[in-house]
Amino acid sequence: MPWKDRYTISNETSLADAELRWPQAKRCAVHVVVDLSVASGPEGITPRDIRSAPAIFGASEGLALVLAALAKHELKATFAVPAVTAEIDPAGIRSLIARGHEVAAHGFKHEDVSALSREEEKARIDLTTRILTDIAGRRPAGWFSLPRQKDPFAGGTISPATMDLLMEAGYAYMGNSLADDIPHYWVTDFASRRAILTLPYYYHFDDQFFSMFPVQGSGLENSDMLFRNWRAEFDAQYKRGRFFTMTLHPQHIGWCNRMAGLEAFLGYMASLPDLWNPTGAECAQYWSATYPAATTLGLEPSIWKDYPDSLS
Amino acid sequence: MTDSLSQEIGGLKAVARDWAARHQRIENLTWPAGKRIAVNFTADFDAMLLRRLNNEPPMQLAKGEFGGRVGIWRLIELFDAHGIKATIFTVGRICELYPQALKAAVRSGHELADHMWEHRVPKELDVERDHLRRTAAALAKFSGRRPVGSRSHHTPTLLREEGYIYNSHGAADHRPYYVLDDKGAPCLLELPFHFAIDDAMFFSFAWYASANGEQRLSDTDRVFDMWWAGFMQQYRQGGYLNVCLHPFVSGRALRIAMLDRLIARMKTLPGVWFATCEEVARHCLEAHPPKRNAA
Repeated sequence: MPWKDRYTISNETSLADAELRWPQAKRCAVHVVVDLSVASGPEGITPRDIRSAPAIFGASEGLALVLAALAKHELKATFAVPAVTAEIDPAGIRSLIARGHEVAAHGFKHEDVSALSREEEKARIDLTTRILTDIAGRRPAGWFSLPRQKDPFAGGTISPATMDLLMEAGYAYMGNSLADDIPHYWVTDFASRRAILTLPYYYHFDDQFFSMFPVQGSGLENSDMLFRNWRAEFDAQYKRGRFFTMTLHPQHIGWCNRMAGLEAFLGYMASLPDLWNPTGAECAQYWSATYPAATTLGLEPSIWKDYPDSLS
Repeated sequence: MTDSLSQEIGGLKAVARDWAARHQRIENLTWPAGKRIAVNFTADFDAMLLRRLNNEPPMQLAKGEFGGRVGIWRLIELFDAHGIKATIFTVGRICELYPQALKAAVRSGHELADHMWEHRVPKELDVERDHLRRTAAALAKFSGRRPVGSRSHHTPTLLREEGYIYNSHGAADHRPYYVLDDKGAPCLLELPFHFAIDDAMFFSFAWYASANGEQRLSDTDRVFDMWWAGFMQQYRQGGYLNVCLHPFVSGRALRIAMLDRLIARMKTLPGVWFATCEEVARHCLEAHPPKRNAA
């Protein structure tokens, strides 16, 4: 890649379909992410978010329905859990692990960290890691920064320091990046090739943007589109032998017709042969060993020229 | 009172007359023998450049980067599989970020055309000319020749002076038409582009920082139906269709699959001319040259 600071985060080209190999010669990888944050906006989880009816539903009936559907089709998921959420229901978090799912970190309270100082952000990462380690009994391997419904962009917010701090804190992967539809490396320093593995995320496969989005009561209910998007992407990626990922929020997807759509889709997906369904950590472990950054990332020096009349 | 209202009518009539005189419809448009409709598949290759220009956050840049790392390659593969030559409107700076993809596009015979130096048109005419020339030189390094087309707000007379023959930016007519300068002299051919046939309008979140209530979230079945209806509406009358794609949007696997179905269905009908924008422009200029407006 002709590297360009502040423009590019990874190499010039992705891996082609033909270059991809999954464990046990499986055909396609499927990563299910369940976001347990109830944060509605950039400030993260607020008392108002917690005191909402969907928060109760999402933590109880909605979560139970999602867990039952995953169990029925023998699917494992990665749960993105803010430290605050784990403190509110530690037993619930432990039961996720007992069911074979993974618990990954999702910020202190799933807040926007983009304006924090490096020190402040580091303190929050360390505290979150400690809380989740204490409650879950193991260190989280992954960190997520998923978008919230009231964010201005549907990509998740990070600061310029986030990826470096996650590497310093020992995280094996960051759970949501948009530069590929397979795992890929996010480079923070060109000279030293310092990089963290990121897993793909895309908002068209995230229930929250099709569930009364932008806000409850808006009437903009497009869950039928969500199910068509899941199906179309899964079919296309299965054919290519790549990677399919979906992001679920129990308070959204667990409701009524949406839950029926999720069940139908999971049933369809699970009926196909040769799916590899890792959790985030399993995926990161496989990827880092099979496609290590040292040999996978082809980074070339910048060929960028500066001109006084254009952006540097 | 009545006088000032009459004066206002007169003023607006003059504006409408002047504006209409800048547009020249091609009457009785015909396509090369055996062809009934011309279809231009176009890709606006701006990757993260536009998002960088708007100072958007890191994840937005990563979203754009999908276009350069993954999407553009898939579009090239798709067009090649169907034997279609497409036009890639390329931001000049992309030449410094994704040279491999541009080499591949040229190898496959696709047209490289201007999409501004860094996805903006400078206000100062001198700087604008520099940007145009810089982009042309950057693209020529890959294609071996200067681009003849643009998709931009660049000043039409400047484009003309720099050797451009077409722009694909307006929508004053379903079919290609001519834009004239303020003296009534023919300036450029317009290959109409419309937001209704633009992937970003259906699948791109926060396009130009639009608010959440305005988001374009759709699915491929819905867009397939709309675009097929658009194609058929033009096919029946022997018209033209310009399909505007963005590698970071349409390069997603589900959308490549949708475009594959759309193209395959178009090919079931006789007389569909899949051409580059340059080919369509040259045909129009030769078969239907513009006329100078009587002063």
